[in-house]
Amino acid sequence: MLAVERLVVKYDELTALRGVSLTVESGALVAMIGSNGAGKTTLLNAVSGLIPTREGTISWEGSLITGLTPDAVCRLGIVQAPEGRKLFAKMTVEENLQMGAYSPGPRARVAESMKRVLELFPRLAERRRQTAESLSGGEQQMLALGRALMATPGLLMLDEPSLGLAPIMAAQIFEIIGDLNRAGTTILLVSQEVLQTLSIARDGYLLENGEITLAGPSERLLADQRVKKSYLGL
Amino acid sequence: MASVCPTKTAKKVVGIALLSAILLVFPWLGPPVYFISFLYTVFMFVCMASAWNLIGGYAGYLSFGHAAFFGTGAYAAAMLTKAVGPGTASNLLCSIPSGLVAAVIALVVGYPCLKLRGPYFAVITLCFAFVVQLSVQNLGVLGGPDGLWIKGMDLPVETGRSILYESMLLLMAITILVVERIEHSKFGAGLRAIKQDEEVAQTMAVNAPRLKMGAFALSAFFPGVAGGLHASYLTYIHPTIVFDVNMSILIVLMALFGGGASWLGPVVGAVLLSFINELLSTFVKAELARIIYGSLFIVVIIFMPNGIMEFIRKRKQTGSPH
Repeated sequence: MLAVERLVVKYDELTALRGVSLTVESGALVAMIGSNGAGKTTLLNAVSGLIPTREGTISWEGSLITGLTPDAVCRLGIVQAPEGRKLFAKMTVEENLQMGAYSPGPRARVAESMKRVLELFPRLAERRRQTAESLSGGEQQMLALGRALMATPGLLMLDEPSLGLAPIMAAQIFEIIGDLNRAGTTILLVSQEVLQTLSIARDGYLLENGEITLAGPSERLLADQRVKKSYLGL
Repeated sequence: MASVCPTKTAKKVVGIALLSAILLVFPWLGPPVYFISFLYTVFMFVCMASAWNLIGGYAGYLSFGHAAFFGTGAYAAAMLTKAVGPGTASNLLCSIPSGLVAAVIALVVGYPCLKLRGPYFAVITLCFAFVVQLSVQNLGVLGGPDGLWIKGMDLPVETGRSILYESMLLLMAITILVVERIEHSKFGAGLRAIKQDEEVAQTMAVNAPRLKMGAFALSAFFPGVAGGLHASYLTYIHPTIVFDVNMSILIVLMALFGGGASWLGPVVGAVLLSFINELLSTFVKAELARIIYGSLFIVVIIFMPNGIMEFIRKRKQTGSPH
C-alpha cells in the first residue's frame, strides 16, 4: 500500500503541493484528476524520488521511502510511466522493454515478462526491431506501458497515458489499463480525461492548486457539481 | 540464413586470429623501427579512444580531458619506477598501478563533475586537464617545468621498442575486450539509457551516479596504463607533452569519427585517423596536410554525424532487401 501524508513540495519559492495526503490500497486502481498545473505530475515525481520533498512522508508497504533515490524507489517496485512517454528514442522496441526490467528482480523474469507484454501488445511484437522513435503515438504509448510492466511493478503510476492520442486509441489504452488492474496490478492513474479515468477507477482524488479538494469513490466524484462543471463541461 | 551465420563468425574469428598473429610477430621480423613506433602509437590511440568511449560514447558524457589521465599514468609510472628501481619488468608492471592512480583521480574528479551535463561536463573536463598540467608543471617533486627522466629498460633500442610494442598491443586487446563485454552487459545497457534520458533511466532502477563513476574510472584506467607504458617509451616526460590538450581532443575525434555507438567505432576511427595523419604528413606538405585533415572532419561530421560505422551499418540496412 502507498500512503502519502501531508506532502509539501516546493520549486524554489513556488509551492506545488500543499499538504497532500492519499492512499493507494494494494490491488486498487486509484485515479488522480485535476487541471494543468494542479500538481499531478509533481506528486508522481515526488513519489518516484525525482524531486525532493519539503514536508510530509511517503511510505510504501509500511516503510518510509521519502528521500530515496529514483533507482532505489524503482527497485522497491514503484514504477512510473512518465508523461509524454519518455522512451529511449534511439533504442529498439525490444531494448526499451529490456530496460524496463533493469533491476535484479524483474531481470530474472525478463523472458517471461517479455512474452506477457508482447502478448498484451501484439503491435509491439511486430515492431520489436524498430527504434522507438519510428513508432506511431499510440504504439509509443503501448511501449511506455509495456516497459513499465516489464518491471513487474507493485505499484504502477501512469501519467497522462492518453496524452496526444486519437480518441479511439485513448479508449483502447484505458481499456488495457482496466484489464491490467483486474489482472492484479495496483495502479495510480493520473489524467485529465476525467470521464474515462473515473469510469475505470474505483476511487479518485481531485487535485486543485496543490491540494486535494475532493476524494472518494469514483461515482461520487462524477456526481459532484464542481467536477461536472469544471472538468466535464456539464 | 542460419547456415550463413556460423561461417560468418568463423571467418571473423579466423580473421582476428590471423591479424593478431601478424601484429604479434611483426616487430621480430626486423622491420625498420619507424614501423614499430608507428603501430605502437596506433595501438595507444585505439586503446584510449576505446576506453574513452565507455563514458563518451555509451553514456554520452564527452570528456575533453582524457590526456589528464594519460599524463597522470605517465607521471605515476615515472615515480613508481624510481621508487622500485628501473628494469624491463618493473617498468612494464609499474604501468598497472599507474592506471589505478588515474582511475582514482577520475573517481575524485568525477564525483562533482559527473553531476554536470552536456557542454558543461565537456568544458569542466577540459579545464580539469589544464589544472592538472599546470599543477604538475609547478610541483618540484614531479620535476616541475624541467620534466622527468625515466631510467630506460637497458635494452637495445629495437628490442626495447618491440617489447613496448607487444605490451601496448596486449593493453589494446584487453581494452577492446573489456569495452566489448561491457557494451553487451547490463552495465552497458544502463550507460546507453543514461545517454538517452538520464531521469527516465533512473526511474528504470538505473543507479546513474554509480554507473557514470564506474564508466569514468574505467575509461581513465586504460589511458593511465597506456601513459605508464609511454613514459618508458619516451624516457623523458614533460607536462606539455603528456598532458597535451591536443591529445584529449584527438581521442574524442577518433571515437566520434568511427562512431561511439559500438566498440568497433573507436577502433576504426583511431586506426583510420592515425593512418591518414601519417600518410598526409609523409607525402603532403605540412600546411596542406592540416587543411586536408581538417576538411576531412568537416565532411565526416556533415555526412556521417554518427560516425563511419553507423553510416556503413545504415547503408547496409537500406541496401539489403530486408
